[in-house]
Amino acid sequence: MSVFVQLLTRSLETGSIYALMALGIIIIFRTSYLVHFAQGTMGMFCTYMVTVFLKTMSFIPSVFCGVLSAVVLGMLVDVLIIRRANGVSHTGKQIITFGLVMIFLGIAPTIFGVDPITMPQFINSGDLNILGATISYNGLFNIAFVLVVMLVLFYILQKTKFGLAIRATSANEATARIFGIKTKNVTMFSWALGGVLGCLVGVMIAPSSAVTTFVLDSVFNAACIACIFGGFQTFVGPVIGAYLLGVLKNLTVYYVSSVWGEQIVYVLILLFIVVRPNGLIGKKLVKKV
Amino acid sequence: MNAKAIIKDRRFQYIIFGLILALVPVIQKAGMMKTSTVLILGSVLIYSIGTIGLDVLLGDSGLISLGTAGFMGLAAYVSAYCTTVKGLPFEVGAILAVGITVVIGALVGLISLRIQGIYLAIATLIIAEILLKTFKELVWFTNSYSGQKVAYPKLLGIFQLDRNSMYLFVVVVLIFLMIITENMKNSRSGRALNAIRRSEVAAQAMGVNLLKTRMIAFMYATTFAAIAGVLYGGLVNFVYPSTWILSLSLYFMAAVVIGGNRSIPGNILGSFVVFGLPDLVLKKLPVVSEMSGFTMIFTGVLIILIVLKYPNGLIHLPVQVISCLKKGSSRKGGEGIHE
Repeated sequence: MSVFVQLLTRSLETGSIYALMALGIIIIFRTSYLVHFAQGTMGMFCTYMVTVFLKTMSFIPSVFCGVLSAVVLGMLVDVLIIRRANGVSHTGKQIITFGLVMIFLGIAPTIFGVDPITMPQFINSGDLNILGATISYNGLFNIAFVLVVMLVLFYILQKTKFGLAIRATSANEATARIFGIKTKNVTMFSWALGGVLGCLVGVMIAPSSAVTTFVLDSVFNAACIACIFGGFQTFVGPVIGAYLLGVLKNLTVYYVSSVWGEQIVYVLILLFIVVRPNGLIGKKLVKKV
Repeated sequence: MNAKAIIKDRRFQYIIFGLILALVPVIQKAGMMKTSTVLILGSVLIYSIGTIGLDVLLGDSGLISLGTAGFMGLAAYVSAYCTTVKGLPFEVGAILAVGITVVIGALVGLISLRIQGIYLAIATLIIAEILLKTFKELVWFTNSYSGQKVAYPKLLGIFQLDRNSMYLFVVVVLIFLMIITENMKNSRSGRALNAIRRSEVAAQAMGVNLLKTRMIAFMYATTFAAIAGVLYGGLVNFVYPSTWILSLSLYFMAAVVIGGNRSIPGNILGSFVVFGLPDLVLKKLPVVSEMSGFTMIFTGVLIILIVLKYPNGLIHLPVQVISCLKKGSSRKGGEGIHE
């Protein structure tokens, strides 16, 4: 029993990290119709920025500065590159995000060096005991923090005027523009948000290993799979998919195979979309001529 | 067919190009070229094969695959396992390698292509990661981090190849595949792909089966990646897990975009820029050689610039420059990756 509870609490932590990443992917997908493949690498870059700030500042201000740099970076990418790609085809835009992946992968070791850098936890010590299972205060904080971030984001999406603008843009960009919505601001916001979420995920995941150029690769892959699992058509789907993926992954890793657990789950989810092509709660998009 | 038509025939031009490439070992023997340059040129040509295959998928049908490196690695390992560990002839290993890779590719394509184009990118990304993990973990098959040794192939059990003759073999295969691709692009499937790129709906109305045609394109890309993988093992003599990472797939994509999509000469040019230029030129420059990530930054910036400013790719540059000089005004090029 205690093992099972332990697995569930772990899954909640991994699931919330995946969910944060998946939310960033889906918001950019819904507003710019692109899968932002550089989100992981941009997050990695901003995590490196946090480690630079950590040299002179304490934890919270340096994370804040890292998030600020993520906002600036996201906006720069939108203004300098994505906005100029107006006449470019869908595939062309998608290729631009791969160009960004290469640029960030190249810049990071050039600026920050190739050695792994350690990252401290937000709460350094202490464990909580639930039903014989232990979870660190830092893990609890991560879970709660992600919940708060997501509640705020969903509140903005559903209840505020700007959220309405985002949803309108995601429904139909041209129509939204006709109705006077500044879709440029919406896309800029979503790219900045993608950067910020990437940075936060990086700060959360880095203490368990170290800051390297591939620190977010596996999280990004998991988030992509979560988006497929939950369906690309809603904002909530990928988040639910991410939490479920966290649970499934930890259970398979523990009970089936510690080496291949993650891969087995991925293959199963790829097989799952044969049965439900639009994911768990996806709707079918009808294309008009 | 008169002489002029033969000279204008693309296939004839490819054969001439192959003959020029075949001169490289002669130049090397004459002492005007380092042996390492032959190796680099050979691997650039091998990567060109993967690029030509990927172009059928990326340029002709607008789909993105991130599995090129994974599939190439799988084929390299299967052929290495068959020849080195099991002692089978090169041809058997090559056929098995291409066969297994194509079957796995077909499964991935069948699952993901039914839905949306972007699903193929994510599915291949995941499969490539799984394959990479396999290369690292499955020690009996891949020898893990120690790497798998491959000998130069012995063709038909008679001709034992060495470095230079292996290079010539790569040239022959490349030219053969270039001619096949040229024919394929003018075949029914090629025209169907062309129609889908212009308008999915119109193509479907004309009786083009979307899934089937896209599957053909994806299979084409996978097969070429597999052939490139087999040749890579033969030429480099060593297969190592960390070669087949995502970055390699991105380099393939970059080669298609930078050289010029839907153009076989463009693919070759792109491969030379992406895979050859860093090794042959850039790493010898003073400041650049000390920057660890320079190749990536260079390729990434080039991709974005080409997509934004010059979607036809570098292969159209000379033509446009000449026409600019002739007319004194710039001519707008074809459609490129624009739609």
